[in-house]
Amino acid sequence: MTADTPRLRLGIVGIIALSLFAALLTRLWYLQVLSAPEFRLQAAANSIRTVDDPAPRGRILDRNGKVLVDNRASNVVAIDRSKLTKDEKPVVLKRLSTVLGVGVDVLSKRLDDQRVSPYTPVPVAADVTEDKMVRLLERSDEFPAVVAKRVAVRTYPMGNIAPHVLGYVGEATQNDIDNSSGSLHLGDEIGKSGVEFEYDRDLRGAPGQEQIEVDASGKPIRVVNRKAPVQGNDIVLSIDADVQHLAENSLAQGLAAAHGRSFQDTKKPLVADAGAVVVLDTKGAVVALASYPTFDLPSIANGITTEEAKVLFGANTGAPFFDRAVQGLFAPGSTWKLVTADAALRSGLITPNFSLVDTGTYTIPGDCTGSACIKHNAGSEAWGRVGVSRALTVSSDVFFYTLGAQFWSNRKQLGDDVIQRQAEQYGFGQITGIPLPAEAAGRVLTPKMKADLAAKNSPLVDGPYWYTGNNVSLAIGQESMVVTPIQIANAYATFANNGDRYQPNIALKIQRQDGTVVREITPRVAAHVDIPGPIHSAILTGLEGAVSDVKGTAFNAFDGFPLDKWRVAGKTGTAQAPPKQDTALFVGFGPATNPQYVVAVVMEQSGFGATSAAPVARRLFGQLSGLETGPGAVQFVQANGAGD
Amino acid sequence: MSVPRGALSNFNRNPSSPWRHLDLLLLGATVAVAALGVLMVYSATKSTSGSSYLGRQGVFVLLGACVMAVVTVIDYRHYRDLAPVLFGGGLLLLLAVLSPAGTTVNGAKSWFALGSFELQPSELMKLATVVLIAALASASTSSPLEGRTVLTCLGIALVPIALILLQPDLGSALVFVTAIGAILFVAGMHSRQLAVVALLGAFGAIYVFGYSSMLDNYQRDRLTTFVSADAQNTASFQVHQAETAIGAGGVTGAGLFKGTQTKLRYVPYQKSDFIFTVVGEELGFAGSATLLLLYAVIAWRIWRAAAVARDMFGTLVCVGVLAIFLFQLFENMGMTMGIMPVTGIPLPFLSYGGSSTITMFAAIGLVLNVHTRRFS
Repeated sequence: MTADTPRLRLGIVGIIALSLFAALLTRLWYLQVLSAPEFRLQAAANSIRTVDDPAPRGRILDRNGKVLVDNRASNVVAIDRSKLTKDEKPVVLKRLSTVLGVGVDVLSKRLDDQRVSPYTPVPVAADVTEDKMVRLLERSDEFPAVVAKRVAVRTYPMGNIAPHVLGYVGEATQNDIDNSSGSLHLGDEIGKSGVEFEYDRDLRGAPGQEQIEVDASGKPIRVVNRKAPVQGNDIVLSIDADVQHLAENSLAQGLAAAHGRSFQDTKKPLVADAGAVVVLDTKGAVVALASYPTFDLPSIANGITTEEAKVLFGANTGAPFFDRAVQGLFAPGSTWKLVTADAALRSGLITPNFSLVDTGTYTIPGDCTGSACIKHNAGSEAWGRVGVSRALTVSSDVFFYTLGAQFWSNRKQLGDDVIQRQAEQYGFGQITGIPLPAEAAGRVLTPKMKADLAAKNSPLVDGPYWYTGNNVSLAIGQESMVVTPIQIANAYATFANNGDRYQPNIALKIQRQDGTVVREITPRVAAHVDIPGPIHSAILTGLEGAVSDVKGTAFNAFDGFPLDKWRVAGKTGTAQAPPKQDTALFVGFGPATNPQYVVAVVMEQSGFGATSAAPVARRLFGQLSGLETGPGAVQFVQANGAGD
Repeated sequence: MSVPRGALSNFNRNPSSPWRHLDLLLLGATVAVAALGVLMVYSATKSTSGSSYLGRQGVFVLLGACVMAVVTVIDYRHYRDLAPVLFGGGLLLLLAVLSPAGTTVNGAKSWFALGSFELQPSELMKLATVVLIAALASASTSSPLEGRTVLTCLGIALVPIALILLQPDLGSALVFVTAIGAILFVAGMHSRQLAVVALLGAFGAIYVFGYSSMLDNYQRDRLTTFVSADAQNTASFQVHQAETAIGAGGVTGAGLFKGTQTKLRYVPYQKSDFIFTVVGEELGFAGSATLLLLYAVIAWRIWRAAAVARDMFGTLVCVGVLAIFLFQLFENMGMTMGIMPVTGIPLPFLSYGGSSTITMFAAIGLVLNVHTRRFS
C-alpha cells in the first residue's frame, strides 16, 4: 500500500457521503414533488371524516296552523353489529352499560333486535344526556362499533291525532335507496305512510354535511367545513284538528254505543268493531279522516317492534294500521240510491213525477224463480205511493228494486250498464286520487265484467250471466259493487256541488318555517257531471227529507238539530256484508242550500245506518255548523220505522 | 486603507493563530440547523405541550454551543492524552445505566433520569470512543495498520458496543460500528483485514438478529419492515404515516404549524426520531432540500477538516465524527422516507434531546478544533 492510502480512502469516504446525500435528495424529490398529490389525498383521507348532518323534517300543521307533528333532537347511541367482534361484544356492552346506566341484559336484548338490518347500527339507547354523549365520543377508542349521534325525532304536540293521515317515519330501506336516484342514503329517515310518505319530498329537506378533522385516535379536533342542513318545508293540511278530534271521538263513541245492541233484523248483539269517518269540504279538501280501530302514533314514532307490528297489521286485532277511510271496501247499501235515482231520471226511465205503490214486498220478474225472488223493504214496511224523492227519504227498496228491474228489461234501448256508468260519473270504481298511500279503487260490476271474471273463474262472481236479480240488487247498492268511504263522500260532494267532482286534497299548501308559501295546493276538478236542475232538486228534496221528514230514515238521529238554521241533506244505508253483520252508513252534506261540508260515516257490524251511523254524522254537523258544539257522547238512536 | 488595531488586527497578522482558521461556514451551518431544530421541536409539541419543549430544546442548544466553544478552545491533541479517561468514565456510565439506576423508555434501558432531564450515556460515549480509537490508530506508524493495532481497537470498541446492545439499543450500536469502521478504514487497515472484519460483522449481525435473545420482538419487527413491508406491522404503519406526511408537504409545504399528519399525531415520536416529517410536511421540498443542503455543507466541512488536518489523529477524529453524523443523518431521514429500516436514532441537531444535541455540538467542536489548528 502506498503512503497515499489515507488520502485515497478519505476520497472514498467523500464519495460515499456524496452518494448518500444524492440518495436522500432523490427520495425527497420523489416523495414531495412527484408523489405529492397522492400523499396529499392520503393525508386528507387520514384526518378528515365526513359526517352527514340529517335535516330535520318539516312540520305538519292543520288548516288553522296548529302543529300536529314537530321535531325534537334526541341523542341516540347505536351499535354497528358488523364491526363488533364476538370477543369485544361483552366488554363493550359492559362499558356502555356503565356509561349509560342501562343494564347489560337490556342492551344485549336491544342489540339482538332482528328487525334492524345487520349492516345498519342498532339503536340501543335514545335520549342520552349530553355529558354521556361527550364521554362516549371522547373515549371512542374504548367503544369500538359504537355510534353516538344526534337525530331529530318526530313529536306530536297535540298527542295522538289523525295517525292514519299523518303516518310515521322510519329508516329508508335498501329498496327505497335504490329507487331514490341518489337522493337517499343509508340511515336517512323517510316517510313510511300517510302524509309523511306522500309529501316526503317536501318534508325531507336537504341534509347538511360536516367535515371533521380527527386525530390519529379518531378523536374529533375541529370542524373543517360545515354545510348546514336545510330543514324540510312545513305542510299545512286541510285537516281541521278540532273536527278531526271530534270525528275520531264520535266514531269511537258511536261504535261503543252500538256495540252489544240487539240488531232489529237478526236479534243478535252488534259487534260494532270498526269504521271510518270522512269529512270533506265541497272543494274537495279533507277536513277530517278517521279510521277505527286506531293506533298510538307517538309510541311508534321511533320505529315499530315485531310485537307492535303484529298488533298493527294483525287481522285478529282488527288491523288498526289499515286506513278504512281510503282503503276499506264496503257495500254502499242505500247510500247508492243517489246513483240509481240520477241514472233513472237522466236516462228518462222515470220523471221526477213518476210514482208507484210500495207494498213493502217486491217479486223479481222474469228470469227469477224461487223464494229468493221475493224481496222486502227493511222491516217489510209498506210506504204506499212513492215518487223518487219520497223513495229516497224513506229509503224505499221496492221503488229502487223496480227501477233496477226496469233498467234491465229496457237494456236494449238504454244499454245494460246505465247505473254503472252513472256510478263511474260519481267516481266509483276508481281511486279518488286523494294523496294518501294505497287508496282502494273499489269495483262496480257490469254484465260484461261479470262475464269476463267468470271466464277467468274468479271467485268474485257466481257465473257468467247477468240476471234481473243482479240489477235489482245493483239498484240498492248491494252485491255488485264495493266502495270506499272517501268515494261515498266524494260522490255526495259531487252532487252537492252541482256536478263538480274534485280530486280530494289532504293539504292546502307547502310553506317554509317562516311561513312563506312554497306551493299552494289548489282544488283539482277531476270531472264534471252535468246534473239538470229538475233532477237535482228531486234528489235533493229526497235527501233533505231523509233528515227532516218525520218519516225520514235519519229523522230520529237529527231530532232537535236546528235544521231551520242549517239544513242537512243525507242518506242512510244498511248494507249486508256476509258473513259479517250489516254495515251502517250515513252520508250527508250541509247546509243544503249552499253546501260546505260533506260527512260520510261507515261503521262495520253496526246494524242500521239510521241508528248507528247517522248520530255520529249529526255530532259532526253540529260542530261544522257551529250550532251544536257542546260536550256529550254520541248516542245510539232508535230506528225510525224500519230503519235502514 | 487603515488597518484596525486590537484583536482583529492581531488575528490578521499572525498566520498561525488558530482563530484565523475558524471554519465559519461549518459554524454557521451548524447553528442554522440547530435553530431550525428548535423551531421544529416547537412545532411538533406546541399543540400538546405549549412552549415547554421549545424552552428545553433551546436550553440544550445553548448548552451545546457552550460545550462546543469549550471543546474548540482546548487544543485537540490534549484529548488524545485524555482519551482513556473519557472512555473509562463513559464505560462506567454505560454500566451504571444497566443497573437499577437506569430508566427504561420504549423497551430500552438507555437513560438516567436527572430531575426532568434525561441523560443518555451512549451518546456521550460515541465521541469518547471515536477519540480513543483515533488516538490508538494514529499512534501506529506502519502502513497498512498492524493486525495487532486493529485487534486492539476492535477489542476496545466491542466493550461499549456490547453494553449498548444489552440496553438494548441496536441503532446506537450500529453508529459505533460505522464510526470505528470508518476510522480504521481511513487509518489504513489492510484490505484483507477489512474483508475479515466485514465478514465477522455480518455473521455477528445475523447471529444477533436471527438467533440471540438480544433483540426484542419490537426491534426485530422494526428492522424487518424494511424487507417485509407487512402492512399490519406497527413500524410499517409508522413509516407509511411518515412518508404520507413528507409527501403531503409537496413543494412548498403546509406552512409552519399547519401539518395535519404531525399535528394530529398520525406520525409517532415526531419531536425525536420522526422530527424530519415535521420539516417535510410543513416546509415542503423547499425547506427539506434546504435542510439537506445545510447538512451537506456540514458534512463537506467535516470531510475537509479531515483532509486538511495537521496530523493523523486530527484526520481520524474528523472521520469518526463524519461517520457518526452521516450514519445518523442517512439512517434517520432514510427511515422517515421509507428507504431505511426503522430504528431509534436521532437526527443530528434536529431531534429533541439533550444528550444527542450536546454530543453533536461537542463533535462539531472537535472538528472546528482540528480545522483551526491545522497550521499550529
